[in-house]
Amino acid sequence: MDSARWDRIAAIFNDAAERPEPDRQAFLDVACLDDAELMAAVRNLLKSDSAGAPLLDRGLPEIAYRMVGTPAETLPFQEVGPYRLVRILGEGGMGVVGLAEREDTGRLVAIKFLLHAGMTPARRERFAREIKTLAKLNHPYIARLYDAGALADGTPWFVMEYVDGERFTDYCRKQERPVAEQLRLFRSVCEAVRYAHGQAVIHRDLKPSNILVKRDGTPRLLDFGIARELNDPNNAEDGSSSVRFYSEGYAAPEWKRDGSVGAYTDVYSLGVILYEMLTGRRPSGHPPEKPSALARGALSRRDWRDLDALCLKALDHDIAQRYGSVEALIRDIDHYLDEKPLEARPGGVQYKFGKFVRRNRRAVLLACLVCTLVVGLVVFFTVRLARARNAALAEAARTKRVERFMLSLFKGGGDAAPSNELRAAALIDRGVNEAASLDSDPETQADLYETLGSMYEVLGNYAKADDLLRAGLDKTKAALGPDDPKVAEGLSELAVLRGDQGRYKEAELLARKALDVASRHSPPNSLPVLAAKAALARLLVQSGSYEEAAALVGPIVRLQPTTEEGMYILKDSLTADGVANYHLGRYQAAESLDRRALELDHRLFGKKHPQTGTDLMNLGTVKTTLGEYPEAESLYRKALGIIESWYGPDQPDTAVSLSILAHTLALEGKNTEAQTFAARALKIQEHTYGPVHMYVAYTLGTLGKLAAKRGDLATAKKDLTRSIEIDRTLFGEGSQLTAASMVDLAEVYMKEGQDARAEQMLREAVRALVADFPEGDAHIGFAELSWGRSLLREKRYAEAEKQLSAGYKILAKQAHPPADRMLEARHDLAAVYEALKEPEKAAQLRDSK
Amino acid sequence: MPEPEKASAAETGLRPEDKGARDELFSLVYEELRRLASFVRKNEVNATINSTALVHEAWMKLQGSPHLAATSPTHFKGIATKAMRQILVDEARRRGARKRGGAGEVSFVPVSDSIQETACWPEELLELDLALEELERFNPRQAQVVESRFFGGMDVSEIAALLGVSESSVERDWRAARAWLASKISPEAE
Repeated sequence: MDSARWDRIAAIFNDAAERPEPDRQAFLDVACLDDAELMAAVRNLLKSDSAGAPLLDRGLPEIAYRMVGTPAETLPFQEVGPYRLVRILGEGGMGVVGLAEREDTGRLVAIKFLLHAGMTPARRERFAREIKTLAKLNHPYIARLYDAGALADGTPWFVMEYVDGERFTDYCRKQERPVAEQLRLFRSVCEAVRYAHGQAVIHRDLKPSNILVKRDGTPRLLDFGIARELNDPNNAEDGSSSVRFYSEGYAAPEWKRDGSVGAYTDVYSLGVILYEMLTGRRPSGHPPEKPSALARGALSRRDWRDLDALCLKALDHDIAQRYGSVEALIRDIDHYLDEKPLEARPGGVQYKFGKFVRRNRRAVLLACLVCTLVVGLVVFFTVRLARARNAALAEAARTKRVERFMLSLFKGGGDAAPSNELRAAALIDRGVNEAASLDSDPETQADLYETLGSMYEVLGNYAKADDLLRAGLDKTKAALGPDDPKVAEGLSELAVLRGDQGRYKEAELLARKALDVASRHSPPNSLPVLAAKAALARLLVQSGSYEEAAALVGPIVRLQPTTEEGMYILKDSLTADGVANYHLGRYQAAESLDRRALELDHRLFGKKHPQTGTDLMNLGTVKTTLGEYPEAESLYRKALGIIESWYGPDQPDTAVSLSILAHTLALEGKNTEAQTFAARALKIQEHTYGPVHMYVAYTLGTLGKLAAKRGDLATAKKDLTRSIEIDRTLFGEGSQLTAASMVDLAEVYMKEGQDARAEQMLREAVRALVADFPEGDAHIGFAELSWGRSLLREKRYAEAEKQLSAGYKILAKQAHPPADRMLEARHDLAAVYEALKEPEKAAQLRDSK
Repeated sequence: MPEPEKASAAETGLRPEDKGARDELFSLVYEELRRLASFVRKNEVNATINSTALVHEAWMKLQGSPHLAATSPTHFKGIATKAMRQILVDEARRRGARKRGGAGEVSFVPVSDSIQETACWPEELLELDLALEELERFNPRQAQVVESRFFGGMDVSEIAALLGVSESSVERDWRAARAWLASKISPEAE
């Protein structure tokens, strides 16, 4: 339509419409003159006008309701994976939360969906971030993440712990709970927040409705929907350029004002919650009225003076005057509960803290930045850079260190300098450049899961690693089909995890499947196939199929890789081949393979990388077996130095180094140091893996041996028995792993005079060792000597002679026969010959050196 | 169909390099729309909703978005209204597509009449969107009045301030445009 024409129609229409109905026709006759078309157009509009415009007359809320307001009750699905939706619990800005039941177990869980996920990437990312944050948090007072995924239509969801409880303030108000009890509950909430801060997560939306108290009186923190990870690259900015969500009454003033976020943001919200807990209302004005002026509770004046100070300090609008950390708030709560003077009172430590942060702002910022970049790097690497992933994963573990460094800053320590941490910069630059060249792709989610899973694996959290790796694999399959090389990669990763979990059968099956998938579309010497072979070999080594492992990677270690990825595969193959050869008793071959792996890792990762540490350990193991203990010790110490400084003192990898070093120290007779290291290792390993794990068994074996040496037979028996039981559970009867501890336990029995029992155990151990080790292996020799001694004590001389001389022969052939054991063996043999009435032979043995 | 990414950048007046900002704005607007919707849902029984107050609150919140706080209030309202329109129309398009094709797709299960009624909404809304585009060509101001009122939930005085015209002009524009649009959407009414 023509503009001018329309303007005319509209004008006449409006004039007509303003007149009462009966006058309109007369008006139109004049206004339209003879233009019948104009008249028709205006009449048409008048007709529409009076007929009404049902759609146009709706208000925006109703339009919104019709278009995007799908009631949660009519979600287009009732089942999500193994969960069945029971009912809707609520709806927030970031999604719909429902109660669901896991069908196989009947367990009730909470499930959160992001409806209209396709709306903008920002929403999806925020949801993914919430999942990532929850996955990091593992605390009894924080609702736990169980599972995550997406429906066929792309709606993402995650499942978490269902908390059937009351809002924090409602719970407190009930039955006039004593203030001390309420404070203790509040303190538990603070504990959970402090833990989150320790994981570099700021909640940002703490309020009573996000804190539920269960019937057992324990709190649960919910809804990390807008939590900020200090080391999340998406949140690296100061917050001023991203949208700020907050709950009016509880958000800190600086957060509302300029989006500045830190531990102090949550401290403020906790302050509001505390204020509300004490007074029944939220603070207003600044500074707000003292809680004592509004509260009902019957407390002494002194008590109120402290609580007022504590509460108002948490609520201070000046960050420098507020508690600098939740830790500090907790300290003052404890002081109050213990009736000690508070830091909140003037002149306290917190004042110093404020000054410290001001003085060191640059350092604090720098530390945050490094965290951000390192984690960013890991995420970048996920996108298709599978081979570089190893390096990135190691970096992830490293962030633990950076985090601790940051925390030490926040605690006011400040002795560590951030400049050390900048070594990561070179790696980061490379990662950023590589990532910049990648387009975003639909498999990103799968990649993210897989990387997060691998990160958890590195950090020793296998359960979460498992969930995430499986989810990633499913998604890769869905996106790329079951035959894609990436599926093979995912299967291999899962296989390696299963191996680490000690589930070797499943691991092997998965790895074989990976090799099968890889072989389907790729030629035999292509990288996917070789990578799958290397992964399978690693598992075969773990499960003891050394011949097959060596056969699998033997050809690979003779290849000359031309690409970087090829070098990584070569490295894995060298390691697997080295370990396999070691177990096959081909120690020289093993040593040369281990040395090649060490050289290659120096080149690929540098001298201070944990990979290098692992190679040093492998080499040390060969040396220990060859009886070259001092060389082994020095290799192990080097390895421990590298690994501990990389992962930190309480990490599972550090524990393995400690445990192995302790074992060699024990062999050298350096018992005190061995004891210290082994005890440290055990603590970490039990914490990481639980009571039943190969490493726990290994360390217990060393501890048992040490206890026996110092004559603490009860402890020795306890530790060794546990070690044997664990290995039996994991590997079944007759494994060589159980055999080592059985030999030690039998020695204890002999000391106690339980010779028959010892003999029986040693017989079994030797049988297992003979089955697992090549003829003439030192392990068999040692066990045979012990068995021979037990037979001697049982006065079964003929049998004793057979075992003792067999064992003696084996040890005599070793490059470095251990002198003490040789002497003992000769002594035992001489005793046997004397009993067998062959005194010349006995004398000969006693005289020889 | 226009390539959605470009179209929206042009419509919202945000530069393409502000993709992040655009994303944030859309998320925010979407969530406000969801919130408005949830009020309607909760109040369905007594059906009295103070629509203006609700929308006003939504505007206050949106205005708190730092991307937009820097722009002038009028410019901001223009941008956010475009975003609302696009979200609602996109959703209508999506539902329409689902209703037409989509073998094997999950489909909504209507549980009440009120929801059944929504069945015809997507198409009407799409028709309105097209008609509004047509109106834009021969009377941009009227189109903006409709957009502000219908998709932006603004009242007459707000629109008058936005466009810099008198309230009575807004009233007249609305009435004419409404009548014309109604005739376009339901031609059987002729």
